[in-house]
Amino acid sequence: MGIGNTSQQWGWLSKTLHWLTAVLIFVQIPLGFYAESLKLSPLKMDIFVWHKSLGILVFLLLILRLLWRIKGTIPKTVGASLIQQYLAQAAHCLLYGLMVLLPISGWITSSAANIPIKLFWLIPLPALVGPDNALKSLAAEVHEISVFVLLAVLILHIGAALHHHLLLRDNTLKRMWF
Amino acid sequence: MKIIRFLAGLFFLLSFPAVSATDWQSDSANSHLYFAPSYEGMAINGAFKQFSTTYQTDSQGQPDSLRVNIAITSADLGNSDLNEAIGAIDWFNISDFPQAQFISEEFSHSGDGAFLAKGTLQLKGFKKTITVPFRWQALSEDSASMTGELILSRNDFSIGTGEWASGEQIGLAVKVWFDVVFTASKTHL
Ligand code: HEM
Ligand code: HEM
Repeated sequence: MGIGNTSQQWGWLSKTLHWLTAVLIFVQIPLGFYAESLKLSPLKMDIFVWHKSLGILVFLLLILRLLWRIKGTIPKTVGASLIQQYLAQAAHCLLYGLMVLLPISGWITSSAANIPIKLFWLIPLPALVGPDNALKSLAAEVHEISVFVLLAVLILHIGAALHHHLLLRDNTLKRMWF
Repeated sequence: MKIIRFLAGLFFLLSFPAVSATDWQSDSANSHLYFAPSYEGMAINGAFKQFSTTYQTDSQGQPDSLRVNIAITSADLGNSDLNEAIGAIDWFNISDFPQAQFISEEFSHSGDGAFLAKGTLQLKGFKKTITVPFRWQALSEDSASMTGELILSRNDFSIGTGEWASGEQIGLAVKVWFDVVFTASKTHL
């Protein structure tokens, strides 16, 4: 298996980025709900450092992924009707969009709340906006709505992958695996 | 004879050139008192929106007394959640200690227009002696500015107790700085 994608196969870079991101997202969602549920404490602040750091990591991986995707080919969707192909494409676009919206809305929430960010306790990020109560509420709202849209699309996405694998028994899932 | 001595004495006193002490009052619209705690070593800038300062200079224009009243309830870290959090009992405890005060009557000169005011800061029920460096600059005949910067340790005043007291996330050092504009409110003998 090469680094690049072919019309039939995902290369290892795309696979690695997909699964690394998937793991991060599955950590991020419970971590976000947990962080929010805690009352203000050093623990809450530490959990938020993890949440923000991993979330920005998702964003960085996404940039790499999109650059790689634009540069190379992607495999053709297997054994599906035109409608299913469009649906799959729409879902993938939405997932990419959410991977931009979530980190950016989170970053704006943090900046508008006048709370600086230091990735993994090491790298300070600049504030995207100044302190602003109204903007903070708005960005937090966008973040939260994005989470629920993400959950819905993921159910569809994972359901579709399982549908291909278990019922259609094609190699959609296999070719994304190693 | 006595009355003549008295009149002579009075005449003697009044014959000195008129020297006057001055009371200065801060102009709240143009005055700022900032504070910045730190989070993971990064400053979070805030301000006390309400405070007032009176300052007296003696006949030589030298500092005589300084008095600062600060409404701790007006502390603003730029975000309503943070503002609510710092009012809590383990931070400023504003319901029991809504006001802070700094009073100094002991000054030393530390350079051209620069002074050190040694005095008592009363904050969250604690009284600590601190030294506030400041620079005094005339802006016009009857207005002047006072600027300065100092570092306080929040543990000296039990601000951030319990699990916050280690200073690990929220640092112990808090920067305080000010830019206060005064107008001369009255002069007297
Ligand atoms: C158990 C979880 C997951 C499974 C089984 C899974 C499965 C797959 C499969 C089989 C593909 C390839 C589709 C094809 O070749 O046409 C794919 C693509 C994709 N997956 Fe997932 N996925 C999972 C989680 C996630 C997560 C959490 C995200 C992001 C939030 C995600 C985002 C994407 C995107 C954007 C693509 C399209 C890639 C492209 O066209 O560039 N996936 N996924
Ligand atoms: C990449 C994926 C991310 C996912 C899946 C995610 C998920 C979540 C979830 C599930 C919550 C709790 C529910 C809510 O109130 O929204 C949350 C809250 C939060 N997240 Fe994220 N997050 C991500 C990235 C980020 C980033 C990069 C930041 C900041 C740099 C961030 C900052 C926040 C903040 C500040 C909250 C609390 C919002 C509030 O005050 O209501 N998140 N996140």
